Amino acid sequence: MKERPAHGYLFVAPSAAVLFFVALCPIAFAVWLSLRRFILVFHDDAFVGLANYRFLLRDARFFSALGNTVYFTVVSLAIELVLGLAIALLLDRATRGRGLLRAAVLVPWAIPTVVSGRMWAWMLNPDYGLIPRLLPVHDVDFLGTPGYAMHAAILVDIWKSTPFVALLLLAGLAGIPDELYRAARVDGASPRRTFFAITLPLLGPSLAVTVLFRALDALRVFDAIFVLTGGGPANTTETLSIYAYKTMMRTGDFGYGSTLAVATFAIVVLVSTVYLRTIGRSAGVAR
Amino acid sequence: MAGARFSRRALLAATAATATTSCRRGARARDAVVFKHQPLWGDPAPFHAMVADFERATGVRVITEVLPNASDALHQYLLTTLEGNVADFDVLVVDVVWVAELARAGWIADLSHAFPPETLRRELVPAAAESAVAFGRTYAAPWYVDVGLLYRRTDLVPEPPRTYAELESAIHAARRVSPELHGLVWQGRQYEGLVCNAYEAIWGHGGESFAGDRLALDTDAARRGVGYLRGLIEQRLSPSTVLSAGEEESRRAFQSGRTVFMRNWPYAWTEMEKPGSPVRGRVGISALPGERGPAPSVLGGWQLAINEHSPPALRERAVALVAHLTSLEANVTMAVHYARNPTRAAAYEDARLKAESPYIASLLPVVTAARARPQTPYYPMLSEVLQSELSAAVSGVRSPAEALSRAQRLADHVMGARG
Amino acid sequence: MKRASLPSRSAMALGGAAVLTFFVGPFAWQILTSLRTEATVTELGLPHALSLDSYVAAFEGQPFARVLLNSALVAAVTTLVTLAVASTAAFALAKLDLRGKSLLLSAALAVSMFPPIATVSPLYLALKEVRLLDTPLGLVIPYTTFALPLALWVLTGFFRDIPDELYRAARVDGCTPFQAFRRVMLPLAMPGLATTAILVFIFSWNEFLYALTFTSSPTHRTVPVAISLFSGEHAEPWGEIAAASVIATLPLVLVALVFQKRIVAGLTQGAVKG
Repeated sequence: MKERPAHGYLFVAPSAAVLFFVALCPIAFAVWLSLRRFILVFHDDAFVGLANYRFLLRDARFFSALGNTVYFTVVSLAIELVLGLAIALLLDRATRGRGLLRAAVLVPWAIPTVVSGRMWAWMLNPDYGLIPRLLPVHDVDFLGTPGYAMHAAILVDIWKSTPFVALLLLAGLAGIPDELYRAARVDGASPRRTFFAITLPLLGPSLAVTVLFRALDALRVFDAIFVLTGGGPANTTETLSIYAYKTMMRTGDFGYGSTLAVATFAIVVLVSTVYLRTIGRSAGVAR
Repeated sequence: MAGARFSRRALLAATAATATTSCRRGARARDAVVFKHQPLWGDPAPFHAMVADFERATGVRVITEVLPNASDALHQYLLTTLEGNVADFDVLVVDVVWVAELARAGWIADLSHAFPPETLRRELVPAAAESAVAFGRTYAAPWYVDVGLLYRRTDLVPEPPRTYAELESAIHAARRVSPELHGLVWQGRQYEGLVCNAYEAIWGHGGESFAGDRLALDTDAARRGVGYLRGLIEQRLSPSTVLSAGEEESRRAFQSGRTVFMRNWPYAWTEMEKPGSPVRGRVGISALPGERGPAPSVLGGWQLAINEHSPPALRERAVALVAHLTSLEANVTMAVHYARNPTRAAAYEDARLKAESPYIASLLPVVTAARARPQTPYYPMLSEVLQSELSAAVSGVRSPAEALSRAQRLADHVMGARG
Repeated sequence: MKRASLPSRSAMALGGAAVLTFFVGPFAWQILTSLRTEATVTELGLPHALSLDSYVAAFEGQPFARVLLNSALVAAVTTLVTLAVASTAAFALAKLDLRGKSLLLSAALAVSMFPPIATVSPLYLALKEVRLLDTPLGLVIPYTTFALPLALWVLTGFFRDIPDELYRAARVDGCTPFQAFRRVMLPLAMPGLATTAILVFIFSWNEFLYALTFTSSPTHRTVPVAISLFSGEHAEPWGEIAAASVIATLPLVLVALVFQKRIVAGLTQGAVKG
């Protein structure tokens, strides 16, 4: 159905305007800053071309942050998908206590990140926290031991973000027509077969969107980890956004900080482009 | 349909609400001095009375607004607003380590005419005066100070240890009585507190902050100092939990009676003497131990500065407010009501302070001997480097020597690259 | 609603209990902490005595009630504006033939891929120019912008799922595109709208970075910033923070509960039509 374009453009005009003026302009400004040496305190402001990017490619701390970010994204996303799907299935099929479960699932997400970060730091505290007490192994300092801190951060993110995943997947699940399930039952298919042959494929588009947006968020994670560990110990939980934040807001180096932000952006674009081209297309997301 | 109508009406109403609250602000021709500070805790009445006294005496109106205590949030806020040349506030509170940075940026006003450096050096404790002076001019007026202290359990260790060796033997002696006790708790998380602890260890081993124009990091004293901190953990004189500990974690560990010693700021004392505290009445404080005798503590604290871009008409009034808030009288009031340690040496001898807060009065020797962290406009950048490398050193990711050598290289790069 | 044969009822009950414990446990712990006295705040057992001291303290020293109102206002307006702007655009993207469709969606995606920290400074300067600093509207605008991408994607999907015939039929009946949109498409997209509403509301309620930078006076603060103000210079009054976060979270949970019913109702409706 080909409508007269004029109406259509009116519909999208507000969104386009908002995105352009309030989002794309500051982003363009940040990109412009990344080509300059711009150190606030020293009123350093000079065009340096790609010098910041050349420095970036030799910056060990950048690569370490990149590694942390990728590890964080992959692990938390994988666990959140599985857990989120299980919870969505549970919510979808539960007959009793559904309202309670739904409210329960939304709680972590409803709490401000600055609070939940500190709440978990409190619970993970080696001296008086609940978690070390409950575990069979005592004297584990989750947030102070270089290997463990990242996994503590992943745990907190799983707690906080699985509701989002479950919600999106639940909406997708509800869109699967009942007849298909009835037909499968008539055919005598086991629950496992039904799940893999009907549920999962038809959930494809929802899964694809969910993975995309969770990945975008995870690659840019800042709040939760910053409040939980501040990037430590020894920068083992420092993600790209935390490094960018410290560079910009602590040292006042807006030039290099913007470079880091643009680099993060480029990585995210790369990941999502690859994703949309391969998995996304087959799941019918990019149409 | 009804739903659509409802939401449209609601949308209009709510947007109108936000729009009009925005419109009502309009153009604000300011005649009041705006003072941004962190919340002081405790009964707000004495503070408001202090401000009201000023208003009465000078006829100048003062508006106070609070900002978060978190150093990061505050620093970020200041960078963003001061860089925008905002003229919304006149007096602000800055951390002792930010003065050189903000002065170099030209965001805080030169106050030398009202608070000459020589006057500061004469009247205030040495480190506080030095922290307020940058490039030979005064840029801030110290409001209150903090120092690192050694807290000990007086029932386990009657006399304060003066050297590291004495500290260690005191821990062993206490453990003979109660083996499950921790020795010394301090702040080893990756944040500014770690830098404070590290500098105290470095100074305690005879080190200095600067070697000429460079930071003195790759030095023998520094290596021994940082090695000492790592050694405390390896020899189990400090629990490994110090690696995730900030001030509050250390305080709670000590307050629950599970450790013999603690390094912390003076604020912890007030908490520990509260009713219900398990260690009430059994806590003693002293200067930090060093290799050969008591070592200098790091000076913390906050200072009042004036926004360079605040309206000229309000500048002198703002200066007057700052003078009022840093007067001897104000020092004593802040100490007595809010447990904020005075910056004026004379305040510690004040009769009222001695009577109502003898604990604070007793801090004079430690405060006088305290040292400031490296005074340089590069401090935030250097602190970033130090936090990363020191955390690597104390958590065992790198050896202290390697960490300090890396830190030296990065610090030189930061300071040298700007010339 | 009969689905494929379920895992056993006890397995589901177990799963439900696990979900409850994991997600609500920490929050329940938070509530418990907020009801303890200051001296017992670090204890692990059940408190001997409950005390509302923390709640009282949370409201002293800060206009916390006003702060809650600010957050609610900003979040509500952001949600409504975002829904209004995004639903019209999503409808057009899904149902109308436009050039530059993928450009808009890509731009939206690009916006959601950019680290927010880099946009703080330019946005601050821009808001300063238009005198919207320290106002609710000054927060609504950036919040709407950064909530828009997700809203667009979610809603476009929902609109796409609605059969074209319904729209064509409405047009044949003589509706203008906007009337068709408002009378036919919008009601059918209710579940999507409800989902998006929750997402946007919670995002703007919990947002900290912009709220900290763009507001300064106590009467204009939002909840996350206010909670961060509870901390003293060194000390953290954990009881008060716990109390404040309990107060701050309950409205959200209530809002979510209300909207949740809408979603399910809409979803079952949607399922029937297929």
